[in-house]
Amino acid sequence: MAKRSYYDIDDILAGQERVPCVLRVDLDGLGSAGSGAASKVHRDARWALPYWMADRLNEEDYVDMEVSPVFSKRANRMYAASPESIQLRAICQHFYQFGLQLGDVVPEIPHVLRSMYMQRIQRVARTAQQGHNVEALDFVQGLDKTEARMLKLCQQAESAVADWQQSKAHTLKKASVVSS
Amino acid sequence: MAISSRQQEGFTMPELEYMAQCESIAIVPLYRMDRLELVRGTVGPFRPPQKTEVPLWLAVMLKRTNRCRIVAPSWLSYEHLYKLYKREEEPDSLFTKLPQHYLEIAYMLLTHAEDDVEDSQAIRRLLQDLREVRQSKTQRGFEMLNPTQLQMDNLSAAEINEIRPLFRHSFDMLRQLDALASAADGTQSHQLQQLQQYDDSQPYSELDDAFSPSSYLR
Repeated sequence: MAKRSYYDIDDILAGQERVPCVLRVDLDGLGSAGSGAASKVHRDARWALPYWMADRLNEEDYVDMEVSPVFSKRANRMYAASPESIQLRAICQHFYQFGLQLGDVVPEIPHVLRSMYMQRIQRVARTAQQGHNVEALDFVQGLDKTEARMLKLCQQAESAVADWQQSKAHTLKKASVVSS
Repeated sequence: MAISSRQQEGFTMPELEYMAQCESIAIVPLYRMDRLELVRGTVGPFRPPQKTEVPLWLAVMLKRTNRCRIVAPSWLSYEHLYKLYKREEEPDSLFTKLPQHYLEIAYMLLTHAEDDVEDSQAIRRLLQDLREVRQSKTQRGFEMLNPTQLQMDNLSAAEINEIRPLFRHSFDMLRQLDALASAADGTQSHQLQQLQQYDDSQPYSELDDAFSPSSYLR
């Protein structure tokens, strides 16, 4: 189990990502929890459970957890081929956090994530410096939560000096939560 | 305490400006004044034609009330900055040496004591150019990103502040990923080792049995 932060809301949300599981026991009256409408679920039925639940049930041998399609062999090859053009947001909102949680289950994930992160974060830094342009729009829209937050921080840091020189830094502003 | 996300990520520019105000600078007082006992030390006495070193905030205050003339630091001259700019522009050059708070000091002097700086307009433009060249250089430094260390010499406080969030978060992410990777490799190699041990022991086990001390003693 990777080190988890108890108060990190993104970490909790990432654990909500569903992973495919195969049931190993018969369950009575729990059919509505899974995909079927029947009240009884038999063993070998396939269920998509949130990772936090699947991990626990897997430890106690109620289910067999399978590798999430987000990190399947095929997906990993895709990430390695063109890390910058992948729409991570469409695949998984909390891609990196989820990957960190799955890291000790699937040993190749850290390597895949690492090379991907290195390439994409450099592009994020470049994008933050260039300001708004149409070219980067596709890339920006495909960022996952970790990267999107990084982009915002970089842009803020970038504009801090200019704001200060135009003496905007001293003025009080409406918080973004209030104004939007 | 509620602090803004920007403050969590390092210093804000007003904070850096405040820090820069403690740097000392030379002034030429226009009036006679006794020495001043300040918390951080004594300054003065002020005898008109003589130069005195005072903190920047005091210099700005005196300048505003027309009681002194600020002597611009030697690096804040067109020739010096132009030389630095040329050196900075060379391909594969390192960062040139500038004071830690050069951006803040220059800004404050150019706002409050513009008449004491020669060629202030040209210097303003040159500083902007210098900043842009250095910025593109830090940008190239991102390619050296790794989880252990990052070396960029002679970066000023404001410039460090600018890249701080990026490096802070990416260091954190890379560190976590590397820990995971080494943990995964560790268990793999551990399993492999066990497997090899098992393979190695196989051919000898039957032989060993015959001559093992336990069978001899039995």
